[in-house]
Amino acid sequence: MENREYIISAFTENHPGILFRVASVFLRRKINIESFKVSDSPVRGISLFTIVAVVDEAMARVLVQQINRIVGVLKSSYYTADGLLSQEVALFKVRKAILRGDTFEQISRKHPLRLLQMNGEYLVLRKSGYKEEIDALRDELKERGLLMELSRSGSIILHRETVEKSMDGIL
Amino acid sequence: MEQKKISGAEALLFSLNAEGVDTLFGYPGGTIIPLYDALYVHADRMRHILTRHEQGAIHAAQGFARASGRTGVCIATSGPGATNLLTGIADAMIDSTPVVCITAQVPVNALGTDFFQEADIISMTSPVTKWNYQVTSAAEIAPAISRAFFLAGTGRPGPVVIDITKNALVEMLDGFEYEKCKELRCYNDHPVIDTDALERAVELLNGAERPLIIFGQGIKLSGAEKQLRELSERGNIPMASTVLGLSAVPSEHPNFVGMVGMHGNVAPNRMTQQADVILAVGMRFSDRVTGKIGEYAKQARLIHVDIDASELGRIITPEIAILGDAAEALAAMKRTIEARDRSAWFGVAAEQFALEQREVISKDLRPTKERVTMGEVIDGVARATGGDAIIVTDVGQHQMEAARYSRFARTRSLITSGGLGTMGYGLPAAIGAKIAMPNRQVVLFCGDGGLQMTIQELGTVLEWKVGVKIVLLNNSFLGMVRQWQQLFFERRYSSTPMTNPDFQKIADAYEIHHRLVEKREDLAAAIGEMLATPGAYFVEVKVDEEDCVFPMIPGGAALSDIMFNESL
Repeated sequence: MENREYIISAFTENHPGILFRVASVFLRRKINIESFKVSDSPVRGISLFTIVAVVDEAMARVLVQQINRIVGVLKSSYYTADGLLSQEVALFKVRKAILRGDTFEQISRKHPLRLLQMNGEYLVLRKSGYKEEIDALRDELKERGLLMELSRSGSIILHRETVEKSMDGIL
Repeated sequence: MEQKKISGAEALLFSLNAEGVDTLFGYPGGTIIPLYDALYVHADRMRHILTRHEQGAIHAAQGFARASGRTGVCIATSGPGATNLLTGIADAMIDSTPVVCITAQVPVNALGTDFFQEADIISMTSPVTKWNYQVTSAAEIAPAISRAFFLAGTGRPGPVVIDITKNALVEMLDGFEYEKCKELRCYNDHPVIDTDALERAVELLNGAERPLIIFGQGIKLSGAEKQLRELSERGNIPMASTVLGLSAVPSEHPNFVGMVGMHGNVAPNRMTQQADVILAVGMRFSDRVTGKIGEYAKQARLIHVDIDASELGRIITPEIAILGDAAEALAAMKRTIEARDRSAWFGVAAEQFALEQREVISKDLRPTKERVTMGEVIDGVARATGGDAIIVTDVGQHQMEAARYSRFARTRSLITSGGLGTMGYGLPAAIGAKIAMPNRQVVLFCGDGGLQMTIQELGTVLEWKVGVKIVLLNNSFLGMVRQWQQLFFERRYSSTPMTNPDFQKIADAYEIHHRLVEKREDLAAAIGEMLATPGAYFVEVKVDEEDCVFPMIPGGAALSDIMFNESL
């Protein structure tokens, strides 16, 4: 089985220690985590973990089984990027040289984005979209020597079904 | 509801009482003094067994749990007290043993300051506990304890750590209320069994020419001994056990064909490779059971029953996975199982047993050489007790020989560190087993290496007059490692010969009856005297120094590659 990017999601109780246990499942097998995000879910008191790792499908299944075994985890599943809606948000700090000529116009036409802030030294751009779209903007800004700093959210996902439905029988 | 003011430590004690706990194994220290003070004041409510090391306390709690089926409890102070529990916690995790460990912690406002005797035990125990929780106020104590017992004892049992900051132990509460935890939304202790899967499983078994049941400790944990026997009897299906499953079925049962695995019996290992259908219940396909996984049971269509969903398909993907309680699943399958004539299949078992008898057992039990073998001693104890004793072992050669040559008439009669292979487990586990089951004979087999890892627990035997029978099989070697060096490292005995103390003097110092056996003719009398003498007894047998445990399937080899002696 070939390695590819899997998105592992887990709905958990919002309690201290669960993150440690979830991370341990990866550490024990020396699997590097590409991104790891915890946020609240539509259900009060329940958190949504979104973890990205490059593994094969058999390993993705084992990881999910082990995460499901943790007391405090309500439900964990794995997906490939096309299996759910996955987006990222990124903030780019760029040199004000971007304003020379029509560079800004060119870039913003190619990569729909929003100008958030501007001062004497730099501009802050916000870009949301698929991971690949964020990567493309990053690469272009880098190539043009404009990129000063980048901060990205990691995958934010929406399941195809509602939280309530996916946790039917549990909640 | 008790209305008068009580401390957190008292609330802890009352909570344990509410869970039916009357015995704790532990060791005091600075941070946990408030709890020991409550134990002093309420001595009528709780018996505290002072061990000689925290590792002894947790292994005793494990032995207590495995002998009785009740959750074992141990307590330790913060820092080193808590870290000394780690090995036992890991052992309980891998062997699914219900224990609740209560550790004291530095005051909540000192957390994270490298306070005296502070250790981050929650982080350290997270990978090796079923659940852990840090209590930082007295009000949390009762609910945390009720969750701890619910989680430790239900589903697939395991260890739970409750870490209690000192301030929580001394804070006062306006009374005491206890509510037993019966469910948690984030934990399913009782999965509903898929009846379709059960039907398909029975169909598979009914159509099988050469079916084999392989059971593990899950049978004991679920209390499925009767259901297992009935399914096997009604379907006329042979059954084999893992090490931890031993004693769930009487050794003399006509359908019982022995133990699988690295040092298991020849018949069940060969039958695993020949079976057309395998029903695996409450076992986890340990590498010690399967050998080379790609070669394991290739002919067989596999049914796997386990209560832990993460075990289904973790090592081997079964054709039919049944998530749920073993007793329930087996009882349901029994209803529609059909008996078939399987005399040819049982004939394979008889034939392979005869081979093992000739190649290994006769040499172990009726040796022609001068020195006593481990097998002779274990067989002697089995005969003298009629298979009625609880056998406890340490880890190594004697452990495998004890599993091979002990006979069991009753369930929960073998207590051994299976998954983790923890040397030093035996003596404290035997102490815990004897304290849990004072009316049963408890016999510990240990080696000279393992005994010395927790030998200080002889002090616990002395203080509490624990009537455990200790059989030291002394070969002056770390025998199992030496066996591997002998077989696979051209006899380069690196750090395995042991210069030992005079164990007879040690037993004497602890006021334990003792006897040394060096000759075969003295063995039976020594065993007889040991069993007949009230209280603890220590028999040391000088066994052959270079004996190996056979049969053996070398690590990573297929189950069919069985070694019967050094040259094969």
